[in-house]
Amino acid sequence: MKKFLSMAAAAVVLFASCSDDDNESNNIENPATYTFTRNGESTVSFGGQTTRIAMATELVSALSVSTNTKEDLLAMFNHQLGEPDFTDVNLNTSDKNVRSKVAASADFFAANTTDAIAIKADFDSWISEQADNVFVNWNVSAGAGVAGNMQQLGSTTVRYFNAKGLELNQAVAKGLIGGLMADQMLNNYLSDAVLDAGANVTNNDSDVVEEGKSYTTMEHKWDEAYGYLYGAEENPASPVLDADRFLNTYLRQVNDDADFAGIADEVYQALKLGRAAIVAKNYTVRDAQVAVVRENISKVIAVRAVHYLQGAKSDLEAEGTVDYAHAFHELSEGFGFVYSLQFTRKPGTDVPYFTHEEVNAYVDALLNDNTNGFWDVTPETLDTISAEIAAAFGFTVEAAAN
Amino acid sequence: MIKKVVSVVLLALVIFACSSSDGGESKPKDNFDRQTMLVNWADNIIIPAYEDLDSKLGALVAAKNTFTVTANQTNLEALRIAWLDAYKVWQHVEMFNIGKAEVDYYSAYMNIYPASVTEIESNIANGGYDLALANNQDAAGFPALDYLLYGVAADDNAILAMYTTNANADGYKLYLSDVVNEMKSLTEAVLNDWTTSYRSTFVNSTANTTTSSTNKITNDFIYYFEKGLRANKFGIPAGIFSGGVLYPEKVEAYHNQEVSKILALEALHASQDFFNGKAYNGTSDGNSFDDYLDYLQTITDGEDLTALINNQMNAARSQIQTVDSNFSNQVNTDNTRMTLSYDELQKVVVLLKLDMVQAMNISVDYIDADGD
Repeated sequence: MKKFLSMAAAAVVLFASCSDDDNESNNIENPATYTFTRNGESTVSFGGQTTRIAMATELVSALSVSTNTKEDLLAMFNHQLGEPDFTDVNLNTSDKNVRSKVAASADFFAANTTDAIAIKADFDSWISEQADNVFVNWNVSAGAGVAGNMQQLGSTTVRYFNAKGLELNQAVAKGLIGGLMADQMLNNYLSDAVLDAGANVTNNDSDVVEEGKSYTTMEHKWDEAYGYLYGAEENPASPVLDADRFLNTYLRQVNDDADFAGIADEVYQALKLGRAAIVAKNYTVRDAQVAVVRENISKVIAVRAVHYLQGAKSDLEAEGTVDYAHAFHELSEGFGFVYSLQFTRKPGTDVPYFTHEEVNAYVDALLNDNTNGFWDVTPETLDTISAEIAAAFGFTVEAAAN
Repeated sequence: MIKKVVSVVLLALVIFACSSSDGGESKPKDNFDRQTMLVNWADNIIIPAYEDLDSKLGALVAAKNTFTVTANQTNLEALRIAWLDAYKVWQHVEMFNIGKAEVDYYSAYMNIYPASVTEIESNIANGGYDLALANNQDAAGFPALDYLLYGVAADDNAILAMYTTNANADGYKLYLSDVVNEMKSLTEAVLNDWTTSYRSTFVNSTANTTTSSTNKITNDFIYYFEKGLRANKFGIPAGIFSGGVLYPEKVEAYHNQEVSKILALEALHASQDFFNGKAYNGTSDGNSFDDYLDYLQTITDGEDLTALINNQMNAARSQIQTVDSNFSNQVNTDNTRMTLSYDELQKVVVLLKLDMVQAMNISVDYIDADGD
């Protein structure tokens, strides 16, 4: 009888310890901040992401300095090790660059190099055109079919547009939020193909760390996703947002809209819990957090797209003098976010909320279907696109607009 | 007695609970007859392909001997035909980087391209070269012949002049001869190893370890599909690995300018036949990956990977058929057709490298470098 009891007890203990894996988070140590260690050493590392955000920041600034040449700008986008492209010498000595990671995720582009090349070419052309057509007209007044400057009404702010009314630096900056940050984060580093590549699961299960490093490969991949959102933060473990001019800042802006309040914390908590789940080898919880991050980061892009399209619409419909500088500035930001929709990720699927083709159709509707682009765009077009985006994400146009 | 039963039941519960925490599926035992598959590969595909290559290279040696005696247009054309015949068969063996082929770095001496024109010309000018040196890998094999038969001068008359009236015509003839002879002797060595001893080693290595035949050939096959076919023939010329910088001069058989597509389609054909266990130059169909995957599907109730892989290979073929017969032209005129082909091939790679090896419980023994 004793024997039976002890065996039964042992079996129950075994049973309990095995079944832990199935239970949500009861074996996960979720820290208060994004801080993880092994043998007293931090295991969190995403230097490459911080570097790329810094490179993108310098590039976007340089697009507003009319003395730069096209070659200067393209070199900043496609930096090569050792070239003196940046003011920050640490960036010059880096072997990383922005261009190679645009439209470069494992899930969306490894077997779709054709679209990846076309997307990179879009960025190349926006950057080139800024030098070729806008810098040379820096002191010319912009108009329909004419590149140049426009001053916002009642403001000292002067903005610079191409002949179609597009602010190319906005296309690049907002396009990178999707093409670089969201794509790398949602469709690369948080993808099964990357997190579970090769022997990652076995190694993580057995705490086999990368050579000379304190982290397992799976931990590191997750951190690299984290880095594309928080890599420019002073203290990335406890992000305060507004740390860059890209995804980080727009997460804050969407969070400031009462209709979407709480989204920033939801993303942060999911990234933190998912990382803790990797430490606990609990991949069910990890994958649930991936879905939360994908949904909410995608939503940031969609909300801002609708927000700016609607902002432009109300400018264009203003009584009296239309503030074209402000309207086209908003339209340009909206354009960049619309472009970024093709890098969003519907949780539980292999696809974005809007495909490359659907986004191209929006690009055409905004910019190419009329002779003079934004100068000819109608409020109806802006409403149609806004409504389609809002419907796909399940929020209202009004919620995003205010 | 009852106690024992109860404890056994409890233990069974424990085992059930543990295995279900892996994601709900317990792996049934894999009783697939690997040896039948290995025998089919060796006897109906690998050895017959090597025998055919050896025979085609024999014909190439003969055509070369005729040409070096009488370097005229007729003999040049016959030599070129022999080169292409052998090059097509080569597409059927490049994937078998195992046994003596692996030890000798056989494929590196047979088909590294583009050939180095500088090294070839320097070898010819200076003489005294050793084609077995690693440095001469890109001055030997089919790509070197591509240059010597098509690229050594601007047109056929000028090419013939290199082997007749050129001051160093003897040097060119000797180099041509040495390259062909070297290819023949390397191939003979690999074939002889298969027919004398390696076949038995190969078919009797039936376990599932990293050095077992099935595991090694599976890795070789996928590696070839990913690198030899997808990257070398399409990705590199199309700028996939160079940030969009195009390399039209890096296509296979660049100097010939007409056959890069023929060779690529032959390589895909060879890969698909191997996957399906189809006999080389025959119609019989024995055990291979397709049957293995079908078997695993029946015991795990999984996806029909055989159909998925064959459908995707067919999709890749359809896409490649839209490409110019000279890939170099295609890269220069509309590179999109090259990248679309690459994309379809990459979808095959994913099916092979993730789904197939996972089903077969084989680990991939090489990894790609990844960014940060």
